Amino acid sequence: MANHTPLSVPSEEHGNAVILCPTGRVDGTNVAILQGAVRERIDAGQTTLVFDLVELNYISSAGLRVLLMSARDLQSHGGKALFCGLSEQIKQVFEITGFDKILAVLGTRDDALGAI
Amino acid sequence: MTPSARSRLSMSSRILVVDDEEDLELLVRQRFRRRIRKGDLEFVFAHNGKEALEQLEENPDIRMVLSDINMPVMDGLTLLSQLESADADVCAVIVSAYGDMANIRTAMNRGAFDFVTKPIDFNDLQVTIEKTLRHIEMLQEALASRDRLVALRQELLVASQVQTAVLPAALPVTEHFDVHASMTPAREIGGDFYDFFSLDDDRMGLVIADVSDKGIPAALFTMVSRALLKAAARNHASPAECLQEVNELVSQDNDACMFVTLFYAVLDLRDGRLVYSNGGHNPPRLVRGGEVQEVPATGDIALGIALDHEFHDAELPLQIGDSLFLYTDGITEACNAAEDEFGEQRLDDLLHELGDDGAVGTVEAIVSAVEEFAAGVAQFDDMTCMALRLNSTSSD
Repeated sequence: MANHTPLSVPSEEHGNAVILCPTGRVDGTNVAILQGAVRERIDAGQTTLVFDLVELNYISSAGLRVLLMSARDLQSHGGKALFCGLSEQIKQVFEITGFDKILAVLGTRDDALGAI
Repeated sequence: MTPSARSRLSMSSRILVVDDEEDLELLVRQRFRRRIRKGDLEFVFAHNGKEALEQLEENPDIRMVLSDINMPVMDGLTLLSQLESADADVCAVIVSAYGDMANIRTAMNRGAFDFVTKPIDFNDLQVTIEKTLRHIEMLQEALASRDRLVALRQELLVASQVQTAVLPAALPVTEHFDVHASMTPAREIGGDFYDFFSLDDDRMGLVIADVSDKGIPAALFTMVSRALLKAAARNHASPAECLQEVNELVSQDNDACMFVTLFYAVLDLRDGRLVYSNGGHNPPRLVRGGEVQEVPATGDIALGIALDHEFHDAELPLQIGDSLFLYTDGITEACNAAEDEFGEQRLDDLLHELGDDGAVGTVEAIVSAVEEFAAGVAQFDDMTCMALRLNSTSSD
């Protein structure tokens, strides 16, 4: 088993928000990378995070857990997390698990930035 | 680190010097006086091998022995053999006459760590002592790590056994249905579970679930969810009410945001009526006359992610000869070396091909198809599936 499947989390600042764009696969072997990237932003006082998932090929339940934790964490600091750019496959995962009902899911990055 | 290993490391290093020459003791105390005063070195003395063994008995924290070869009562080479056969946890450094290669070889073969030659060059001895103590420290750290690893593996093994023990060992068998399940955890302990139990004479409970993440935290959450659901199943006839109760319990104080996707159905054997609620789990498949269809969702969510969600029941009247196939995403997301997924299409095609193959045949065929597809590539996720075929109803 590979130690880590490839995952990078490039980010971009947009006004008061930071856009995180996890790229590759998120699963149990590398979910700490995503968690670390989010943690860093929250610790730096960031209150609005946009997760643009357009470059995300796959997310496991461990990855979903970190998205939910991030959203809760931001909420408890008076902030919010927005999710956009879901591929058909990721959208299906969100729908089956009901995460689309719990998280703020929007269409494109522009939709998300418009909703801040 | 074991407590004893920790205390050994933090203590001053105690060295046993074995020599029949009385003045060596004075010389050592003189040469190393600063280190002795500082308390980081401590010397104990013996005059022959026998006394050395007695000293070691009395001072079990001695880790290094510096020994002469020629001594009355018991010589240094015999001492080495004794230490070796007693499997003593000490490093021995031998003091030998310059050029006495035969004895040095014998000493090394009996497990000596190093040697110094006579007359003793105390600078060289100091370097040798430092080197030996560093070696001992590394050895102890390695041993402590190994102990920790062994302990951890043992705990994982126990956890794995406990978890396997809570899966139904033998699924109930009656003439009205056959049922079969298989679970392959990706790690020592997994986050999937299935269950099948009888609620009363006429009704059976059927569960498949997948907890977010793997490993020990997930396994604990798995055990809790499974127990809560089973308890709820005794109290509520409606699967939705059961899921609601479990969801409320696992959502409270769930700071780690653990969640479980869980499909729970109650099968009424009198008429084959299946009532179910699907808490965010992959839709099971209904195989009817070779045709494969998804069991429609109930619009519900994984358990643990929202405290106030209201769950819904749906109804599916099973016909005689119908099969249900339940699975976790470890099946459809199994990867081969080219990183292709097994996928839902392959699963549905295979279920269609298998047609009415009975629960055992279906589960075994799917599991071996997934294994064949993965072709030995180790999987990240647990793979669990369960099949149930309705053979007859009790009202027939």
